[in-house]
Amino acid sequence: MARLKIENLYKAYGATEVLKGIDLEIEDGGFLVLVGPSGCGKSTLLNCIAGLEDVTSGDVVIGERSVTELHPSKRDIAMVFQSYALYPNMTVEKNISFGMEIRGVGKSERRAAIEGVADMLQIRELLKRKPSQLSGGQRQRVAMGRALVRDPQVFLFDEPLSNLDAKLRVDMRTEIKRLHKRMGTTIVYVTHDQIEALTLATRIAVMKDGIVQQFGTPDQIYNDPVNMFVADFMGSPAMNLLPGTVVAENGGLMVSLDGHEGEMLLPLPDSDALRGRMGQKIIFGIRPEAFTDPEGADRTSTQLEKRDCFVEVVEPAGSDTFAVVKLGGKSAVARLRADARISPETVTSLAFNMGKAVFFDPDSGERLK
Amino acid sequence: MSGAAQDIAMKGSRATRIIIYTVLILFMIFYLLPLYVMLTNSLKPLDEIRGGDMLALPKNWTIEPWRAAWSYAQIGVEPTGLRPYFINSIFMVVPAVLISTALGALNGYVLTKWSFRGSGLVFGLLLLACFIPFQIVLIPMARILGMLGLAGTTSGLVLVHTIYGLGFTTLFFRNYYAAFPTELVRAAQIDGAGFFQIFWRILAPSSAPIAVVTIIWQFTNVWNDFLFGVSFADFDSIPMTVALNNLVNSSTGVKEYNVHFAGAILAALPTLIVYIVSGRYFVRGLMAGAVKG
Ligand SMILES: Nc1ncnc2c1ncn2[C@@H]1O[C@H](COP(=O)(O)OP(=O)(O)O)[C@@H](O)[C@H]1O
Ligand SMILES: [Mg+2]
Repeated sequence: MARLKIENLYKAYGATEVLKGIDLEIEDGGFLVLVGPSGCGKSTLLNCIAGLEDVTSGDVVIGERSVTELHPSKRDIAMVFQSYALYPNMTVEKNISFGMEIRGVGKSERRAAIEGVADMLQIRELLKRKPSQLSGGQRQRVAMGRALVRDPQVFLFDEPLSNLDAKLRVDMRTEIKRLHKRMGTTIVYVTHDQIEALTLATRIAVMKDGIVQQFGTPDQIYNDPVNMFVADFMGSPAMNLLPGTVVAENGGLMVSLDGHEGEMLLPLPDSDALRGRMGQKIIFGIRPEAFTDPEGADRTSTQLEKRDCFVEVVEPAGSDTFAVVKLGGKSAVARLRADARISPETVTSLAFNMGKAVFFDPDSGERLK
Repeated sequence: MSGAAQDIAMKGSRATRIIIYTVLILFMIFYLLPLYVMLTNSLKPLDEIRGGDMLALPKNWTIEPWRAAWSYAQIGVEPTGLRPYFINSIFMVVPAVLISTALGALNGYVLTKWSFRGSGLVFGLLLLACFIPFQIVLIPMARILGMLGLAGTTSGLVLVHTIYGLGFTTLFFRNYYAAFPTELVRAAQIDGAGFFQIFWRILAPSSAPIAVVTIIWQFTNVWNDFLFGVSFADFDSIPMTVALNNLVNSSTGVKEYNVHFAGAILAALPTLIVYIVSGRYFVRGLMAGAVKG
């Protein structure tokens, strides 16, 4: 177990820069999730940590030791790959013990280690099989077993669940979380699935184009995004990002949105950044769960604003009902209780929880606080 | 109505089938005819061939032509039969095939899994080797063999065939390994396996289909080669193909067609056996490469 530190890391393939100055740190026993759209450099960063790719510049530190120049097998890490990467010609048992065999670990010791992980992951009855005789979920377990048996300082996971079906993915997610609790080993976990990121992480790094956009706790990332990209990427359904204009009304700041019948005014917090935008366009961001039916709204909030909205479409989704509202020239999604009585093509009173609203500069996408 | 339509369709497909099979059978006869002629005539006494019909079955069956071709027919000036040359060929083919296949596999492994700056160019140059006509390299090759002290030896021929085969063997293995998941190599690296351990423990066990393709390809080419054999071999290293030519051209009076036929079949036999034994792997391997590569 050890902390992991990445300092000013750059990686280029020829002229294409893939990672552009990454700085991250995760404490001993932490669970760091790297999340971002496909092609943003998550796997490349993970491979740099593993030593499977050479860094162009920068440093990777595990514990107190810089490992930047070390061979992957010397870094005291274990990795689970997206494709599982089980050796096709070896049985499950051999797959798990291959690393120990290469390192010259004795037979009886190997045996004991195999049994240990086989019990922990409940794959005892699979030990004699070849990978081709396993289901996706079983392969995934074996791949985890191969990593666990190394008992490393840091586990690296590259989209380990993305090849599983939806149900199994949720189960394995819980299982990974349980394993982490039990062993307390530091984990770096790559995913493009923001729900996986939010449920697993103690720290999340949201990446885009080889740059870390925001690094923080799941709560910070979700409720306090630094820019529009993070706000939009995290959360499902995505945050409503609606163009509006800052105006002064009754002595307070307001944001004016194009509503169904003329403008709709919502109060803004009194901040320098927003006052400086008087008369200008901003982006008003509100998550669907903060835009809901008055009965289902957060009653502890002191900033509930009820407004009449024109509901275009209603989408019941079992546990929730989603309502699509035309607002600010866009389709905004409101998340209502499952049994909210609401019909399409009608005007309904909905509540905006302004305590949860965030604002952005429309050009740079930066947060306005 | 639909029943009738189906009937017509059935009849149509049956007619097509008959046509297809007829054509196939005709082609088969066309291709098997030479073999039939060679085989029947190699089992006849000489006067029966000269007196009569090439297509007739032997009246007096005899295996004497085979014994002559194998062990005492005149090859050039020596009445040795083809046997020593058959052995020369084996000593040439086996190492040439094994070495060029092994090196091709290593090349393919490096080019796909340890690619370096300029590895594309290296592969391009190796590919070019597949397209250089043999005749162009004859004289430079003769010089090099001379300089190495390998002129006229079986080792020299092994070297020539290995070098000439590398382009193809590398191409085969490179395309096959390009489809081999790189994550497996990375997993093995993390497990601590080195360059050769990864090759031997991870890639090699999955390489049987392409190895069979490469071996058949190389075996056929090296065994059937005439030009390098006739150019670079000496008395004690002459391969089968050249010896067969010498057998046919040895002009001691009458042309012994029956012996020539037997000799030709002997010369073709090893490649035939290789195909029959592993032909289906050949097709399977080619398909695997085609689909995955
Ligand atoms: N070996 C390579 N050579 C050149 N470009 C690469 C190489 N590997 C990855 N890239 C590029 O780096 C970028 C990031 O890739 P990757 O780290 O795999 O993204 P992610 O895992 O976030 O989807 C991509 O644009 C990809 O095209
Ligand atoms: Mg990736």
